[in-house]
Amino acid sequence: MSRILALAEKELLQIRRDHVLPRLIVLLPSLMLLLFGYAINFTLKNIPVAVLDAAQDRISETLLRELTKEGTFRLALRAQSREEVVAALDRGEARVGLVIPSGALEKVRSGESVRLEIYVDGTDPNFAFQAQAALRKAIQEVNARILVGRALAGERVLPPLSPELHTLYNPENKTAWFMIPGIIGLVLTMFTVLLTALAIVREAESRMMESLLASPLRPHEVVLGKVLPYLLIAFGVALLVLALGHLVFGVPVRGSLFLLLLAMFLFVLGSLAAGVLISTVARTQVQAVFGTYAYAFPTIFLSGFVFPIEGMPPFFQALSYLVPARYLIEVLRGVMLKGVGLEVVWPHLLALALFSALVLLLASARFRRQVAV
Amino acid sequence: MVRAEAITRSFGALRALDGVSLEVHPGEVFGLLGPNGAGKTTLVRILSGVLAPDGGRALVAGLDVAREPYRVKALIGYATQEQSLYRDLTVEENLLFRARLYRPKEAKALAAEALERFGLSPYAKTLAGHLSGGWRQRLALAQAVVHHPQVLFLDEPTTGLDPLSRRDIWGLIHQEAARGAAVLVTTHYMDEAERCHRLALLFGGRVLAVGTPQELKLLAQKKARFLFAPGLSLEAALSLPGVLEAWPSGDGVRLIARGEAPVGAGFLEVEPSLEDVFALLAKEAL
Repeated sequence: MSRILALAEKELLQIRRDHVLPRLIVLLPSLMLLLFGYAINFTLKNIPVAVLDAAQDRISETLLRELTKEGTFRLALRAQSREEVVAALDRGEARVGLVIPSGALEKVRSGESVRLEIYVDGTDPNFAFQAQAALRKAIQEVNARILVGRALAGERVLPPLSPELHTLYNPENKTAWFMIPGIIGLVLTMFTVLLTALAIVREAESRMMESLLASPLRPHEVVLGKVLPYLLIAFGVALLVLALGHLVFGVPVRGSLFLLLLAMFLFVLGSLAAGVLISTVARTQVQAVFGTYAYAFPTIFLSGFVFPIEGMPPFFQALSYLVPARYLIEVLRGVMLKGVGLEVVWPHLLALALFSALVLLLASARFRRQVAV
Repeated sequence: MVRAEAITRSFGALRALDGVSLEVHPGEVFGLLGPNGAGKTTLVRILSGVLAPDGGRALVAGLDVAREPYRVKALIGYATQEQSLYRDLTVEENLLFRARLYRPKEAKALAAEALERFGLSPYAKTLAGHLSGGWRQRLALAQAVVHHPQVLFLDEPTTGLDPLSRRDIWGLIHQEAARGAAVLVTTHYMDEAERCHRLALLFGGRVLAVGTPQELKLLAQKKARFLFAPGLSLEAALSLPGVLEAWPSGDGVRLIARGEAPVGAGFLEVEPSLEDVFALLAKEAL
């Protein structure tokens, strides 16, 4: 027993002596707790809606007020045409589209039913179900009010407003369609960041770095040489996931494959640089693993990979703009499920490129400073 | 071929090198002798361009190491203190990797030649991690010279080896010098230092003396007398006037005493070892 204690105490001493590990041990669970507690929210709020309001009367007013009243929906765009509504969904500016036909009030007065065209972004089936339920509830609410107002409830057969729901992009609500682009993002993050950080730290830990630095290899050659194999591996794995998703789960690639690969490439570049960056801080492989987790957690929670960004409080929504995986997943889902092209995804590609360039610069500066002791 | 000019380097408050100057010529095995912490590794790292000095200049083949580190690095072979080989690669793969870092076009031929020259051919396909200590060191040395460097830095190449393996490694080191390379070897084994053409005694970041082993011994003999007192006790020896150092040896005591000090009857003058020389000079430096 005392021998066990001796060993345990030695281990604790070593952990304390480690400069990075104790901080990570405290920081990581706190980060997880905060993200889980605050950021991840399965009940939806602030769902952006694009509306084509051809009626512009009391009916459409009441309906819109009802929708936005509890903060479940927010009016993101007033469109002039149905095409504009769908385009807003394509771009991801709105996740629900609503078309209110003209003359709604007259139809209600004459006892006809008003057909509301509703488009729901079906990329995430979970989201689609919740949004549809909330829409139905709001419409029922309005219907009830109209009927009470006219005190004719007993005689009516048709409800005044009847929704006609269209689920876009993923009409059969297949979860795999939603998850696979996210998994590609996750695989790319974990593989590249972790493997890169480990590969470099392992070299330094085994004191091999010294003799590499004494060779004519330039620092950037050391980094590129170490990172290149993992770039290939990560890309191979991503393509494997893509192919499996396509062949086994039937996930479509509606847009251009080239755009997908471009986004993946830009993202991987940044992840590799992040791995190098972690390796300049981490002295041991354990630290590198923890550092990677610290990087990967926000990626998982704030990228919209599983948890809808709309459900988060504004602070975390703002934070999600700093997570490169967010842009990757936007591009992947957009190109694969929505079939959108460069004209829609270019801002995300630009964000990825900027992020990667920044991290690459930071990593090479730090690495250079570290080796030029 | 290799020149250190008044090199200084500190790590925080620790002054690791304090104005070190020395020169290594082609075809020469130059030993850097000193205890742990004397600054040997720091000097080698600076000369090989891995570490920047705070002051002074390092020259290799006439090139300023700080200004043209990569031209210098291409000229040198450096075997670090920790054997820098990949244990999960075979002997041949290790050699080929090193060769490709320096001379990619001839790498295959160079690696094959090094296998042959260092007698490693039978182990070509063996994982480096499976070699015995002596053979692993042999591989480390082969790696450092696989590209035929003009300058060779070996940081404690024989630490932890048995005497036979050490002999073996020293034979190979001289073979490299005979090829024309300037070889700088660090060691804290005094007996090994005897095998060097010339030596610098490094202590506390300073060079105490430079010369051939014989010159260093003569220098020491001018400063002090090296004696053996059979049957004397250590306490008695230390109480003698003019005794600088005394330690038990066999059935008596070894002494270092000032030249003018009187000596007892039956004391024998002995040829100083390099260890004696070092002990004297280190004592003077303190």
